[in-house]
Amino acid sequence: MDEYFKQAALIENDRVKKWKKDGGRVVGYACVLTPVEILEAAGVLPYRIRALGHGRTDLADAHLSRFNCSYCRSCLQLGLDGAYDFLDGLVETNGCDHIRGMFENWQYVKPSEFFHYVRVPHIVDEDSRKFFAEDIALFRQAVAKHFDVQITDEKLLRSIETSRRIRKYEKEIYQMRAGEEPALTGAEAMALFLYGCSIPAEEFADILKKVIDKRLDYDAGQGKARLMLCGSATDEVDFLKAVEDVGAVIVADALCFGWRAVAGDDGSKTDDPAEALASIYLDHILCPRMFDEFAMRRDLVVSAARDSKVDGVILVHNKFCDVHGVDNVQLRMALENEGIPALQLEKEYGAKADIGRLKTRIQAFLERIGN
Amino acid sequence: MVSQRTQTGLFDRTANLLELISKMPENISDEETQGVLRVLPPDVRQALSAFFIPSMRATSIVFLKMLGKCFIGAREAQKQGKKVILAPFNFPPELLHAFDSAFPLTSEVLSTVGVIALQGQGERYFNTALGFGLPDHICSANSIALGSILGGEDFRPDALISSAPGGCDVNSKIHEFVAHYLNIPQFFLQKPPDDSQRGRDCYVRYTKRMIRNLEEFLGEKLSEEKLRRVMEKANRCTELNNELWEMQKAKPSPLPNLYSLMLYGTRFTMWGTDAAIENLESMVATAKRRMKDPAFSKRPEKARTLWAYTSYYFDVLGLFNWMDDKGYAHLGDGLDLYFPQAVDCASMDTMIEGWARSAWNMPMTRQVGGESMSGAWTEDIVFAAGDLNADCVIFCGHHSCKQTWSVVSILGKELKKRLGLPILVLQGDSWLKNMTPIGAIQQQIEEFVTHALSRKKRSIKATSRIRDKRRKARGEAKS
Repeated sequence: MDEYFKQAALIENDRVKKWKKDGGRVVGYACVLTPVEILEAAGVLPYRIRALGHGRTDLADAHLSRFNCSYCRSCLQLGLDGAYDFLDGLVETNGCDHIRGMFENWQYVKPSEFFHYVRVPHIVDEDSRKFFAEDIALFRQAVAKHFDVQITDEKLLRSIETSRRIRKYEKEIYQMRAGEEPALTGAEAMALFLYGCSIPAEEFADILKKVIDKRLDYDAGQGKARLMLCGSATDEVDFLKAVEDVGAVIVADALCFGWRAVAGDDGSKTDDPAEALASIYLDHILCPRMFDEFAMRRDLVVSAARDSKVDGVILVHNKFCDVHGVDNVQLRMALENEGIPALQLEKEYGAKADIGRLKTRIQAFLERIGN
Repeated sequence: MVSQRTQTGLFDRTANLLELISKMPENISDEETQGVLRVLPPDVRQALSAFFIPSMRATSIVFLKMLGKCFIGAREAQKQGKKVILAPFNFPPELLHAFDSAFPLTSEVLSTVGVIALQGQGERYFNTALGFGLPDHICSANSIALGSILGGEDFRPDALISSAPGGCDVNSKIHEFVAHYLNIPQFFLQKPPDDSQRGRDCYVRYTKRMIRNLEEFLGEKLSEEKLRRVMEKANRCTELNNELWEMQKAKPSPLPNLYSLMLYGTRFTMWGTDAAIENLESMVATAKRRMKDPAFSKRPEKARTLWAYTSYYFDVLGLFNWMDDKGYAHLGDGLDLYFPQAVDCASMDTMIEGWARSAWNMPMTRQVGGESMSGAWTEDIVFAAGDLNADCVIFCGHHSCKQTWSVVSILGKELKKRLGLPILVLQGDSWLKNMTPIGAIQQQIEEFVTHALSRKKRSIKATSRIRDKRRKARGEAKS
């Protein structure tokens, strides 16, 4: 696990460096709704943009504003200061208003040769599913054209199968964490998943299998309070460590880099890869940017909290993140109605100065719930 | 039930005030006006005195009466068992006016009228929303009215329409929250971020789906005949709106600064009704009268300012009228940029497609709901600034408006590049005075406008010097 921790803490990790050295192309994306299978099938490495807790935003603040979420500002900062110069392209999605602004500024200031916008509907119905399937087909065409590769149905279906294998293993890891003796800490799982979305999918699937085998008899909890962590896109392994350092272990989550990437996909088969991808990404997405699915999100969070026998749920959002900021209120009400204690936290992304305040609040929460 | 409520909610208080104003004659004298204002609480007095300046008092009263029809109409409609449907400002209300069993209300109009006209300016309702644990960066534009509704002692809508998905996250989220909390149905009209024909066709399909859902909820089929009647009136509103746009090109602009607010106040509420036509006709008549008035045409217009998104509403006297007094024309803001077009009333299909086009063109949907937030917004601002001959652009910097804040740097650069126009980026809350006081806003506007004008003069002088030099070099006489 230490090696994954080490690699997950790097923007351009050793695997990316080797990939580039061998002549491979890398395309950055930020949102969990990006159908990365198309890039995989094209032989291009999809790399999920992250900021890894970088709190500096001086370059980004000249473009985005202080009223935009600090996670997006931190990502833009790294884009502008050259940390992401190894990327051969960017894929934008309309994940949220801040992320759209981040991509538009990035592309305006430092244009990428390959820039494509995947347009994801906010409400799922027959018409929007059709629209999204068409959009995925357009994405496929754009990737094939720009990188001058053929993306055959066979390659794409194989790539979809690999993603399914990853999700199956990730679900297994979630089950192992939810057990009496959680097999991984929340910080370990986050580091592993972060590393996973920056390396080739086949390799990640193999790593997950190894981790599962290695952690079959392991207790990362050791009697600590069991928490679930939900909320904004966060890749701050240090934040999760800080939560766990005060006497807790995160045994479940509904985070963008965590369960959200795992939850979808009922495994149903279709011969049309675009339709299959539309269904995988659009159905069962646990993201509050979907506007007619709160009941589904609420039920999934409540049942995950129950199944993992958590002592409490922390609902976190980055300052100015509206979709989570509002959703967390509804979730808190729903959890409390079910008798599950919940703590709502607003924080600045990557702000080291904020960590003391957050720890105090978490400690107080743990005391409140009797741990 | 209306009668059982304490009348402490924003809607009830505003409706009561508008009911009172509806009784005022349009030809009320200066003396009588002063008498009426004197008995009102300070915040209400200040707001109404902005509307009751002699040069536009009659038109203001027609406008306020139209708003009264909207508020009182909603109250009466609910009493009669009709469904009052709350929608955000980017939903063209004429569709709901075409149903016999529905009545539209607009969240942001409720907030704005409450902030402008009520003692206390609606802050307590925003605080109620925050009391639920909602973050302080939610948008006051809708959360003031919605906070009042959430508080329980106010009007309760029968359903919500959410037309902001794709245009604004926070708007969509807060409406979703209210629908869940009140356990009332919510209908959606999402905007695909695709400005090609594919996106437009998809939007028409979404529109038709939403209408089917509304019909099912209301138990009423949308009547072609009724829709045509409403759309024909909407077309008349379009003509009058476009007439005002054309008149605004004149220098000095014959449109009082408050017209910006009154125009979209009409667009977002009673568009497609006789009340809206009467109001717009009155606005046109006043503007024409000012245009013909020799004293008015001699009035100095020092600067022409275009506001890029919203204006400030917590002190309309301190912004719109203050700018008028300073000789700064307010040429409208982003909310005026809905570019109405006539709807073809030949058939049900053409009318629904026409309505969908109007909805696509509503402010926010059209700009930041575009395929590119910065691209679509920039195109509109550049067009409006050029067409209306603006000297400069002002961005209000409403703190909750994350989409515009995220791309205003691009807008600024493009304005400079394409038109050579400077932009002032303010920071504040358009609906709440406690973030930036109006005095600070006035000071920044004044400094900016003065600077922008002196730069423009220098630039004109420099250009003319260069032209003269070139002419001289070619041996031509100075013109």
